[in-house]
Amino acid sequence: MKTPFGELLASLIRQRGVSGSLVVSEDDGIVVDSNLQVGVNGPVVAALAASLYRKARLSSRTAGLGEVAFLTLEAEQGRVCAVGRNALVLVTVAEPRANIGLIRVEMLRALGELA
Amino acid sequence: MADEIRRWSDELARDPSSMIFLKLGEALRRRGQVDLAHKVALRGLERRPHNADAHDLLARISVDRAEMQRAFDEWDMVLRLAPGHAGALKGLGFVCFQEGRLDEAERYLAQALEADEEDSSIASGLAYVRQKLRRRKELGEAAGAGGAARGDGGSAAPPPEPDATPAMAAAGVAAAPPTRGDDPRSLFAPDLGDGGHAALLLDASGLVLAGAYLIAAPAGGTQDIAPEMGAELSGVSDEARRAMRHLALGDWTSIVFETEAATVAMAPVAGDGLAVVASDRITPLGLVRRMLDRVSQHAVDWLAGGGAGGEAA
Repeated sequence: MKTPFGELLASLIRQRGVSGSLVVSEDDGIVVDSNLQVGVNGPVVAALAASLYRKARLSSRTAGLGEVAFLTLEAEQGRVCAVGRNALVLVTVAEPRANIGLIRVEMLRALGELA
Repeated sequence: MADEIRRWSDELARDPSSMIFLKLGEALRRRGQVDLAHKVALRGLERRPHNADAHDLLARISVDRAEMQRAFDEWDMVLRLAPGHAGALKGLGFVCFQEGRLDEAERYLAQALEADEEDSSIASGLAYVRQKLRRRKELGEAAGAGGAARGDGGSAAPPPEPDATPAMAAAGVAAAPPTRGDDPRSLFAPDLGDGGHAALLLDASGLVLAGAYLIAAPAGGTQDIAPEMGAELSGVSDEARRAMRHLALGDWTSIVFETEAATVAMAPVAGDGLAVVASDRITPLGLVRRMLDRVSQHAVDWLAGGGAGGEAA
């Protein structure tokens, strides 16, 4: 089934080192649409990334820093990036070699399509 | 916002002389599309070189691009075109503060407040600058008295501490505290350099071990909200730990999130600890990460030395 996010997700997965891109509901962590390489567990990524983004957003707001524009979590074997709008979170999972600057630009550019 | 930007872009395409470029440039700037905003502002200025608001827009974009001299020049131009322009006076105060010219910053902000008494960010920024001026004066007097008392041509006054910009103080973004020596609150001052940055070291419970996070207090002056920040941000790191366990990506090494007012970066330190760096939005992301590396290393060394007790000893 096609969603309005198919093209957006396809453009993100084409970035070097990106192994998955998803649009996720921030409230419940459910996948709205995804484009994943084999081996990426979409529902788990969605739930955890949405939860992390929500926590960061609430913490930022409580701390008086305003809304979160972009979040990146780096780990030894990969990265998770997230941007959100209108209760939706756009998530990418990437390998450590991925160009985080490029992914960030692409995700912020795509933010407008999360409506 | 995306719809409005599209609509304004279309309108500008239909009528290149439209003043809508002011709204479009500002909207793009706020969305972080600074280079695009810059192009829009420049094209607008080509058609309206004597429009004060257009120069004001370009000045704000220049700040986002960390081009302080350009910002200063543009706001200076605004004042020539529209004397008493509150936004330009506020901006000039901001630039002067960034460059450590506190006297000039104070003068510009005082004029800005006269021009717009209802802008609380100007009032809090001015209060902050005046506090810094008082502090600088006290330090100067103390250094003079110390040298005279020692009679040995003793060391000069300590280097200036990191400052928060007026805009940051108003927005609630951090600066290192006005303390020094063995006070753990100023532990990371050498790692942060000049500008509006702050650093914290938290324990596993989110309690502050070192560092400070100052914001402009509603009643004037500043207040340290490090304990509240620590409690909130440690929750984010707990969430990260949980996520990494399930995603099999190994241990997490850093989290960075950009907010409307600041960029916050954090990293695990010595097992359960958490190092946090917060910087204003104009600080390049790469620089924030480098500061986080320095602060983390400093925190490790400090903890290995026994923390506050060790350094003081």
